[in-house]
Amino acid sequence: MLFEQQSEYFFVCILNKGNYFNHLLNLFLNSTQLQSSRAPSGGWRSPRNKQQCQNQSKTQKNEVEAEDQEKEIKEMAPRASCQTMCPAQELWNRESQNRLHCFEVVPGTESFRKPKGDPLRAVKEYSRPAAGKDVTKPSYLRPPDVLLKTVCYLIDEIAGSTSLHPWTEVYSFVFDRLRSVKQDMIIQRLSGKDCVAILELTVRFHIYASYRLCGEPLRIFDPRINDTHLQEYLNWLFDCYKTGTGPYPNQEEFQTLGLLYNLGSSPATQDVLELPERLRQTPSLKLALAINQAFLEGNHVHLLRLVQKLDFLQTCALHRHLVTCRRHLLLIYSHGYHSRNCRFPLDRLAQLLSLEPSLTAELCQVYGIEVNQHNQVLFSKSAFTEPEQGELDCKLYHSIVSEKQRGLTSHAVLAERSEQRTQKSE
Amino acid sequence: MAHITINQYLQQINQAIENHEGSFCAELLSFKHPHVANPRLQLASPEEKCQQILEPPYDEMVAAHLCTYAVANHDFVEAYKFQTLVVSFLRAFQSHKEENALPVMSAVTLDLRIFANNAEQQLQKKGKGQPGEMLEKAAEQLMSCFRVCASDRAGIDDSKKWGMMFLSNQLFKIYFKQINKLHLCKPLIRAIDSSNLKNEYSPAQKVTYKYYVGRKAMFDSDFKTEELLSFAFDRCHRSSQKNKRMILIYLLPVKMLLFQGHMPTHQLLRKYDLIQFADVTKAVEGNLLLLNEALSKHETFFIRCGIFLILEKLKIITYRNLFKKYLLLKTHQLPLDAFLVALRMMQVEDVDIDEVQCLLANLIYMGHIKGYISHQHQKLVVSKQNPFPPLSSVS
Repeated sequence: MLFEQQSEYFFVCILNKGNYFNHLLNLFLNSTQLQSSRAPSGGWRSPRNKQQCQNQSKTQKNEVEAEDQEKEIKEMAPRASCQTMCPAQELWNRESQNRLHCFEVVPGTESFRKPKGDPLRAVKEYSRPAAGKDVTKPSYLRPPDVLLKTVCYLIDEIAGSTSLHPWTEVYSFVFDRLRSVKQDMIIQRLSGKDCVAILELTVRFHIYASYRLCGEPLRIFDPRINDTHLQEYLNWLFDCYKTGTGPYPNQEEFQTLGLLYNLGSSPATQDVLELPERLRQTPSLKLALAINQAFLEGNHVHLLRLVQKLDFLQTCALHRHLVTCRRHLLLIYSHGYHSRNCRFPLDRLAQLLSLEPSLTAELCQVYGIEVNQHNQVLFSKSAFTEPEQGELDCKLYHSIVSEKQRGLTSHAVLAERSEQRTQKSE
Repeated sequence: MAHITINQYLQQINQAIENHEGSFCAELLSFKHPHVANPRLQLASPEEKCQQILEPPYDEMVAAHLCTYAVANHDFVEAYKFQTLVVSFLRAFQSHKEENALPVMSAVTLDLRIFANNAEQQLQKKGKGQPGEMLEKAAEQLMSCFRVCASDRAGIDDSKKWGMMFLSNQLFKIYFKQINKLHLCKPLIRAIDSSNLKNEYSPAQKVTYKYYVGRKAMFDSDFKTEELLSFAFDRCHRSSQKNKRMILIYLLPVKMLLFQGHMPTHQLLRKYDLIQFADVTKAVEGNLLLLNEALSKHETFFIRCGIFLILEKLKIITYRNLFKKYLLLKTHQLPLDAFLVALRMMQVEDVDIDEVQCLLANLIYMGHIKGYISHQHQKLVVSKQNPFPPLSSVS
């Protein structure tokens, strides 16, 4: 997967910098050609053609100017003329090769030998950049407004649908089709408001997925792959916020999600600290910074209490750090309460961990911490052990996140803006 | 210098090259040298003149350098373009023996970075171009010069490896402008660490190098940072007040975190105009309220320098010192309520007994307190010997 990303970047680099590299290469080559005409003794006084050199210098200066002009033309990126979510040619190809996804076929034709493609539901798929493939053909590229419509369709009708199952299949499809949108965006050097709108929807999707598919087998959902792509989208989005003119009404929401997702990371924290004052003082960012600070200080009691104030999607963003938080709490308590007569009430511990007492007892067991028959925890620093690979199932301990989802549809989570979401969950 | 003709100038360069006077040659190609102000040298098309007197590739290099009219007109984007040409020609003859190369390379790459900086600012003001683009390109150029130097096989006296630290320092200055570029420092540091010239570079270069490597270590939470920054501070020339101040900004928080006995004196802070640290220093002795106030008052300064996060780490030490004061009551069993009262007096918001227990457990786990918490008795029981080990002994 990583290789695919690299080749995407290669691709972008070639588009952006190819001319410049070629220019430098030419200069270098020209100079070395002059070198080889020198006498083998190493001295560099050698007969040369004055006229040739004069011309060369002039051509090089002209090359610089020509390159600049070319660059200006390239600034006006490749034209995009595909007005449908899937280019007609691709739809035809995939239909005849029977490579349509079940979400893309005309309902009722799924069981046909060659299901019929539905142009209102077919979406351009991701394809690896390859030599000889011209991805800049206008009829294959979707312009910004079509890209935004595509993403809205994917979120509203597919990811946010209550009738499509299983959600792993939904994820697979949306993940792939969003990747193709990203490709079109990169080729067209998309920036500004359209870019931001698309990225925001994409980020919400990946954050939600990181929670919803937690615990699924690796071959169906790999959290690391989801993470790699999510980080990329986040960085791009934050770049847009930084370099664009704005205003960006959702910036508060996404800077918060970004910090919670990357809890405890110095670069992420520093980035947020460098935001303008008015953003840092917004309630959600203040809360996220407080949670981040508690994480850095190791004050997980305070942290888990603050987490109660987060909304559902924010808790999804933070969810992958819950294991670390709870583990650290059990670890420091194993040291802090280490004594022969330690009898810490299980119920109290359950409250601190934001878990049911029975699950708390299970979690203690996973870390080698003894709980006696009177529901008392016998902390001991020598007893604490790291769980075996796969012994700890994060999903069992999800209640802190799941209880916030009550009444919220995935559509409400993914598509709507934060103010509306908090109203719903209250 | 300010009045010589173009012919005289070119003759001087030619002589410098023939006599292998690298440093003089470098001066004649540097924008710090007065010849840059000479209007007779500011030609739009100096190629012909240069070719008459100089051999390739110097002729084209100097021709590109002479397009200083661009700088005279403060068009740094243009200046940067021409400087790029100078650097690329430089690379062409770097691949064969030539002792003039290094001083010239130093002068020329320095100007490249400065122009890139200025060009960035100019573009930003006009709202054109991508931020960081010019610096990124400059970094690429410098990186290829670095590679040429690092892979040089000549004997130690003629080796281009002597140029590695200078180039690294230039690259650090570019990379440190953006947090997400810091990882690019790693290959440079690795290359220099594994070279046998590591300790032989000039003191000035070493000070700059250790300053940046020290800052990178700080960013990676690597405790080698104290050693590196201390070296830089001690060896930095007494007269470079500004540089010493810059080093102190990063050395102070690290020292405060690691060695509480090494708090900076008020004199030192005043001498280097770093009064912002005064309240923080005082607060760490156990006044949590003062610490929070100090951090908030100078927040902008600390964030801009990138030390806000490390200063917040001082909170743990402050808690430890605060709690230690309470144990001067010569008892080895303290009710948890006492700590709660202490924190409330420091105006710490919504803290309750559960959080007090968590804080204490953390301090015990980190080795700052020797003892245990008894939940049944709601007390902290500390060891009769040395309940608060000295900070320097705790990792």
